[in-house]
Amino acid sequence: MKKFRNLFFKEVKELLSKQLIVSLLLMMGMFYFIGQMTRKEAARAAAAQKISVFDLDKSALSAQLLTGLQTMNFKIEAVTAATAQAAVEAGRAGDTNLLVVIPEGFGESVRRMEPKVVETYSYLRNFSIIGARTSAIVKGFLEAINKVLSDDFLKARVPETTPEAIKSPIKSRDFIIIKSRMAEGSASAVTGFVTSQTVFIPVILMMIILYSSQMVISAIAMEKQNKTLETLLTVPIPRTSIVAAKMLASGFVGLLSAVIYMVGFRSYMSGFTGDMAQMPGVSQVVQKLGLTLNANALVILGASLFFAILCALAMATILGVLAEDFRSAQSLVMPMLILIMIPYFVSMFADVKTMSLPVKLFILAIPFSHPFLAMQNIYLENYRAVAFGVLYMAAFFGVMVYVAGRIFSTDKVLTMKLRWGKKKIVL
Amino acid sequence: MGVILKVEGLKKSYGAVEAVKGISFSVDEGEIFALIGPNGAGKTTTLRIVATLLTATAGTVTLMGHDLRKSPDKFRENISYLPEEAGAYRNLKGRDYLKFMANFYAEKPDEAAGFVKRAEDIAGLGERLGSKVGTYSKGMVRKLLLGRALMTRPSLAILDEPTSGLDVINSLEVREIIKRFAKEGISVLLSSHNMLEIEFLSDRVALIDKGRILDSGTAQGLKDKYQAPNLENVFRSALR
Repeated sequence: MKKFRNLFFKEVKELLSKQLIVSLLLMMGMFYFIGQMTRKEAARAAAAQKISVFDLDKSALSAQLLTGLQTMNFKIEAVTAATAQAAVEAGRAGDTNLLVVIPEGFGESVRRMEPKVVETYSYLRNFSIIGARTSAIVKGFLEAINKVLSDDFLKARVPETTPEAIKSPIKSRDFIIIKSRMAEGSASAVTGFVTSQTVFIPVILMMIILYSSQMVISAIAMEKQNKTLETLLTVPIPRTSIVAAKMLASGFVGLLSAVIYMVGFRSYMSGFTGDMAQMPGVSQVVQKLGLTLNANALVILGASLFFAILCALAMATILGVLAEDFRSAQSLVMPMLILIMIPYFVSMFADVKTMSLPVKLFILAIPFSHPFLAMQNIYLENYRAVAFGVLYMAAFFGVMVYVAGRIFSTDKVLTMKLRWGKKKIVL
Repeated sequence: MGVILKVEGLKKSYGAVEAVKGISFSVDEGEIFALIGPNGAGKTTTLRIVATLLTATAGTVTLMGHDLRKSPDKFRENISYLPEEAGAYRNLKGRDYLKFMANFYAEKPDEAAGFVKRAEDIAGLGERLGSKVGTYSKGMVRKLLLGRALMTRPSLAILDEPTSGLDVINSLEVREIIKRFAKEGISVLLSSHNMLEIEFLSDRVALIDKGRILDSGTAQGLKDKYQAPNLENVFRSALR
């Protein structure tokens, strides 16, 4: 154990270089900075936005329209111009993002129930998502006005029924059923909520697997490049301990890197997603449907993630033996990346259950598919699928460790190289 | 002086290529035994097998009665290997590297400290041991590694081209160190291209070519046998 500890700490010391720490901190700082900027921009967009209004009507209804816009947190700037065209040109030179032109006779036309066109001019000064919000809110407001006016009209003309009954003769109540649980609510809203709450899990998993794999491949490659591997292999410590120490240290540093990365990434993403607690209605439906992770679920999910990382480390150890130097180690991360990206995208965009048998088998044969699918399976109470995934990964890890141990116990650790059809021999 | 290392009928093949074709030799306690030969003769392969890095295709290797195949761990406890192109961990300080290596052999911290102290004396790097290995010159790394190889006073030190890449002064120092340790009872199995070095260091020499030992004996004995002024001429004569 003392010798193993000696080796483990050396590996951690080697991996946690100043360069790595500085680059991780810089990355975290960068994400935090962008997140803060985005949050400020979002807050700015949510604050009173300026709208230019060219009111040619000046009727009671147009005044009502402007008051309505003000209650929606818009700051109204009245435009004085000779013509609508002149108002549009004036807006071009100014800093307004939206110009609303209320035509002459607007109030009177509406009163007669003759549609009148209200023109909106959006000045696209950038293509940010937040920048496009202003016109979307105004559009929504105009639709609301339309609803109020048409409702008033219908009430006056058909007093024996409600405007809602005329406009929407078919009503619907939406229910969501998950196994034995049922709740009333919008399926798309619940899916969106759950996705927003769990979007980080695959990203975290992907980052940990990639970081750890890269660490272990690089650690072995660096031993070869720096010509330290031969010496290490002759010290009195079992070869399996050498493999285990490298895997464990790489896993530890990989996990640490991923956590640091994710703290920054979360800060960055929160700038876009905002506070999900602002959705209490959906949150209640989610609670009722049991779409929250309890302690048992977290343990199962943790086991799935843990075995996925172990599988990645064992595979990376074997790949690391093929590397001749640090540069070739970088290219050897590619197979790991492919094996992670396939289940990552499949879990995001497709349903494995509905796939053809060969494709399904292929996906399930990739060990990393199981943690990606584990979250969905836990929500859907498919605990057998999660347990199968964990057992499969445990078996896969066992086989990989055996192969890695065999390689390290034989000449192959020194002679194996990724040279298609050729074998380098040292005499 | 008893036999420390015994190699009998050693063979090693890489697929169809036979690198070592039945080599036999032995090394006595406190003896410096040298393998000399051209590139590709099988010197490094032989040393790597004895160092437990490669598995022999056939033959036996025993160290102090321990069979290499049966108990490689016992072997590793009693040997120390210095490869020709060895390096040290660049991110570790020289002293930390020595501590790291010493901890594999020492049972207690005091013993490890003793190993490190001995390595420091051998390497002679002084305060530079507090610097990272990445800042060392090639000669400094080689001295550090020699200190590492000899600090545990192994029963057998396997040194592949011990003065490889060193300048004249450093080479002389390294040779003196090896000679001194052999006098203290450490057996040395070494290989070198440098015939002068071999003549200076070795008690016995084996001439090796194409995976076979052509002849062996003391440097003087071989020179007398082949009536040659130096080992280079001995080697040329043995090849004919």
